[in-house]
Parts: sequence; structure tokens; C-alpha cells
Amino acid sequence: MEKVWLAFAAALAVGLPALATAWAQSRIGSAGAGTLAEKPELTGTIIILLAIPETMVILGFVVAAMILVL
Amino acid sequence: MIIKMAKVEILGPKPQLMAVLNLLRGKGVFHPEADLRGFVPAADQAKIRELLLDESAVGEKLFFVSLRDRILELLACLPDQPSRTSYLQPLPIVDVLNELVDKHLDHCRNLRRQQQALREEAEALSRQLRFWAALEPLVAGTRENSGLAFFGVTIRNPEEIPTLQALLERQTEGRCRLSTASIEDGSLVGLITTDQKMADKLRQLLSEEQVPELRLPSELAALPFHQKAAALRKLQAEISGKLSGLNEQLNTFAHRWLPIYRQALSWLEERIALYQATATAYETRQCFFIHGWMINAEVEPLQQTLLESFAGQIILAVLEMHDEDFDRVPVILHNPLYFRPFELFARILPLPKYSSYDPTPFLGLFFPLLFGMILGDIGYGLVLGGIAGLLIYFFPERRNLADGARILGVSAAYAILFGLLFGELFGNLGEQLLHLQPLWLERSQAVVPMIFFAISVGTTHVLLGLGLGIRYDFKRKKPREALVKIITLLLILLGGLWLVGELLPVPWQFSMPLLLTILALLPLLILAGGLLAPLELLKSFGNIISYVRIMAIGLCSVLLAQVANQLGGMTGNLLAGFLVAGVLHLFNLLLGVFAPTVHSLRLHYVEFFSKFLEFGGRRFEPLNKHK
Repeated sequence: MEKVWLAFAAALAVGLPALATAWAQSRIGSAGAGTLAEKPELTGTIIILLAIPETMVILGFVVAAMILVL
Repeated sequence: MIIKMAKVEILGPKPQLMAVLNLLRGKGVFHPEADLRGFVPAADQAKIRELLLDESAVGEKLFFVSLRDRILELLACLPDQPSRTSYLQPLPIVDVLNELVDKHLDHCRNLRRQQQALREEAEALSRQLRFWAALEPLVAGTRENSGLAFFGVTIRNPEEIPTLQALLERQTEGRCRLSTASIEDGSLVGLITTDQKMADKLRQLLSEEQVPELRLPSELAALPFHQKAAALRKLQAEISGKLSGLNEQLNTFAHRWLPIYRQALSWLEERIALYQATATAYETRQCFFIHGWMINAEVEPLQQTLLESFAGQIILAVLEMHDEDFDRVPVILHNPLYFRPFELFARILPLPKYSSYDPTPFLGLFFPLLFGMILGDIGYGLVLGGIAGLLIYFFPERRNLADGARILGVSAAYAILFGLLFGELFGNLGEQLLHLQPLWLERSQAVVPMIFFAISVGTTHVLLGLGLGIRYDFKRKKPREALVKIITLLLILLGGLWLVGELLPVPWQFSMPLLLTILALLPLLILAGGLLAPLELLKSFGNIISYVRIMAIGLCSVLLAQVANQLGGMTGNLLAGFLVAGVLHLFNLLLGVFAPTVHSLRLHYVEFFSKFLEFGGRRFEPLNKHK
């Protein structure tokens, strides 16, 4: 039973940040696409902004790995 | 690398100013600076003033601008065709050109107006001819002198035909016939045939019912119905001939005058640019001054050229660069051959400040390394290397594409190297077919060691960034900020050592001293960097953990490759298995190019460069004839 809870906790640890990242990226992506249509020179900045929320899911992945392995 | 610049001042007698500017534009190495700050001591600034052109120079400039604008107008009227090179010197003939250009402009405008009118007429005729051509087969069966009257009408809606037919029969007591034909765009034309007695009555009816009758230009209106289409064609051919004649005239004119006007325009633009360049010059009663920046290595050759060209009358002096100048020094990047393609990624970012670092060499060193760590597959590396080679071979002249291919080639080499370390060739296919064994570890089985490896890479990268940041802070004389970075660096190092100690299977005697040192350094960090400094420290830890993506994305890649092999094997058929595995590997390869690129760039832009790079540099824009 404990294994089930561990797996569930790990799934939540990676799943919830994944949803949050997806939501944040969808907002940044649409705003970024609009920005690029007017100012293509901001490509670098938009890539950076778009990639920033991914840290959430990476941190979630680390936590999930720690739950399962340690 | 950021090219070393020199702060320079050029001065000489005022009459030589235009000649000096002309020489500087020819060399293309001097970036003028209109702002006097840092070039002339504040006490001396009252002694010099902005250079004002005298009355004759202003008159000449206005004359050149006016002539240039009229020539541009004339060139817009002429066909844009390649022209021979003119060897006429524009200066002696500039007055003649000034008079000629107005006459030529009138002539060409007149030709263009005629051309436009004829084109509109040809367009209208072409529209009418489509209707009359459709009517031709309908009238073909009737005789020209049959005593019948013909009406051509356009019918907007096919559903109106029965109504129109009934109306016509009622009005003419059955003595008329309506035939229809369709044209290419789907609309309908109708031919109404009746006897001459009913013609006027029918015309009135069509007008009352608002059925549009086909009309012709007035000169063709009186022609018999049977001849109208042929007459239209004849008229169209005449207009086409006139248009060809006009085009010929314009082409002949352009052939004769374009080279001269293009040469004159180029010369005028050069002269006007010289006058515009004087806006950055200053003067005393007898001398002019120009201040600015130039590439350090070009100073001596330019001094030599000025000496030879002006017999020592013009002096180029190198001024001492002060700390406050660094924000204004224009930046030009130049890198060795290996790093040059990586400028493609550096160009996405704003220019760094002159005193900061060029991001290109760092991208050149670390981007392929991180890419290889993430992709890490011999097979994928070979395929990508092949694609890169083909792109370089077939598109050498497309600079961005060739640069991208070179980056892909280097990254593919690293992917092969890490593929050997991880023992991967199209996932586990190498192991299954060739008994390939990892030289270091198998990624799909060693999740935790890979996490530690990725964090170690991140720690090294972030600490290097902090080290470069400390150097940069000392360079721009900001010791407090350097101290914050030193403490952050120490805390990360000590924190890392403490973590290693905790993870060791045996107790480590240094844990407590390390923890105490960390606790002692924290107040120092707050004192040096303020209350937000611990947050910055946490951000740095977050930056390091962010490197776990190297392992996470790599793991996804290898698992997807294994799934491709497994599904391919499950088909039980060699061809089908090859196809299934091939499609999935292709998909994985696409992801394998995109994901490592984006994530490696992100690790540079966000985690690494934020520690030491300062953006906001000015682009080096020298006076240049060939802009």
C-alpha cells in the first residue's frame, strides 16, 4: 500500500507542475507570438520567457525522483 | 570576442573637412560621436561649437538634395532594367543634368500617363470582348441583312431567364427569341433577336426593367451587330500596338539615360552623406574636430593614410579611455573560425556592453557539450552529422543556414561521443545487434547517477558564470557586487560539499564544520547584498537544479528510441518493423534536434549568462561608403 502512495505522490509532484507549466507556457506563447509579429528582433527574449516556466516541471521531476528513489 | 576599440579625435584646418570625411567614409573604420562628453574637458567645451555650414555650402547641399529627389522621381518613372556602367564624371555635368532632369521627368510622366490610359482602355475592352465573344456563336446562325434587330444583354441571375422570356414574348407578341451563353467567370450573356419594328419598344422595355444592355465605345456603336466582336478585336490589337510602342520608347530612353542618372544619383548621395556627416563635427575659428571610436588595430594605418593624403595637416590623436566611456564604446564582435557560426545564437541576444563579454565563445564551448549530453546517441549523431554535411555542401552561400549546419555538425560529434559513453546506437539497437556496451553508464538504468551528473554539470557551469561575474564586477570597480558573488560562490561550493558528505554511505566528519561555515557566511551575504541576497542565492540553487533537464530530456529520448525498437520488433515482419521503427526514430530525431537546442540555449541564456553578462552595447556603425 505504501508503494501505491509513493507512486501517487510522485505522480502528483510531477503532474501538477506539468499542468502549471503548460498553462504558463500557453499564455506566454500566445503573447509571444503576437509580440514577434510586430517585433521579430525580440525572438531571443521570447524564447527565454517561454522556457522559464519549464523549471517548475523540472523541479517537480526532481522531487518525484527523490520520492521514488531516496 | 569583443574587438578592442580606441577613442580618437581627428582635427585639422576647416577647409579640409570634406576631404577628410570623404576619406573616412572610404575607409569605413570610424564611428563618429556627436556627444562631446568625455572627449573635451568641460572647461574647454565653451571654446568650441558645433560646426555650421556656411551659406554657399548650405545652398549646395539644398541643390544636391533637390536634384537627387528629382532624379529619384525620374528613376521611379523608368523601367528598372540593368544598365551599363557610365564613366561620365557627374560633377562637370551637374548643371546640365539639373536642367535636363525636369524635361526628362515631364517626358517620362507623359509617356507613363499615356501608358496608364491605354492600359485602362485595354482592360475595359478585354472585359467587353469576353461578353461579345460569347455572343458570337449565337449570332453565327443569322444573316447580316435579315432585317432583324439584335440586343446583347447581361443576365445576373439564371433564375431570371424564364421571367425575362415571358416578359419579352408578352411585349413583342411572341416575335422575339432569347438565347443565352455563359462566359468563363460563370456569368450569363443573352442575345435577344426581334424584328426591326419591335426594336425601339424592346430597348425601352430593357431600360425599364433594368436589364443591362451590352454597350460598346461610341466609335463602334454604329457598326452592324455581326461585326462588333471583330471590331473590338481590331481595336484591342491597335491599343496593344500603341502600348508596345510606348514601352519601346521608355526602354530606349532608359537604355540611353539610366546609366548617367544612376551614376549621378550615386555621386549625389555620396555628397549629401558627406554633408550629413558634418553634423558630428565641431569647430573653432580655424579648425574642425571630429570625435569618435575606431578599431584599435586600424588607428596606425589610418594615421599613416592621413599623413600621406594631407601632408601632416590632419592629426589623429588617440585619447585615454575612462571608466565612464565604457557604456558608450560601440561594440563589434569578431571570433575565430570555430566560434563564428555560434554568432547565430549570440545575435538572438542584445549586444553586450563593451566592458562585458562576448557570449559567442561560451556558446561555442558549452552549447555542443550540453547538446551532446542530452542527445547522446551514436546513430542520431551520425545522421545529424550527415545532414549537416549535406547542408554545408549544397547551401554554402546561405550564411545562416550554413552556420546552423556547422553548429549541428559540432553538436552531432558531441552526441556521438556521449553516445559511446552511454552505449547508445538508435537507443538499445546497438546493444541488441552489435552487443554495444556503455563505456560509462547506461542512461535508462541509471536515473539517480544521471541526476547527480546533471547537477554537477550545472554547478560547474553556474560557478564558472559567477567567477566571470566576479571578474567583471572588479573590472568595472563594483567591489560590493563582487563580494556578494564571492559569498554566493562559496556558499554553493560549501553546500555542494555538505550534500556530498550527507550522501556518502559512511559518516563524514566535515559535515558540522561545513554547516557552521555556511551559517556564518549567511549574515555576511545579507550585509553585503541586502535582504534580497538570500533570494538570489536560492535562485542560483534553482539555476543549478534546472540542469537536471539534461538528464530528463535525455532519458525521454533514449526511452522513446527503445520503444521504437520494441514496436518495430513486435511487428514480426522485417519490412513492417523497419518502417515502424524508422518512423518513430525519425520523430525522435526531430525532437532530438529541437529539444536539446532549445534547452541548451535556455541554460545559457537564463542560468549561465545572467551571472556575468551585461547587455545594452551600441553597435559599431562607421561612416561607410558601401552601406
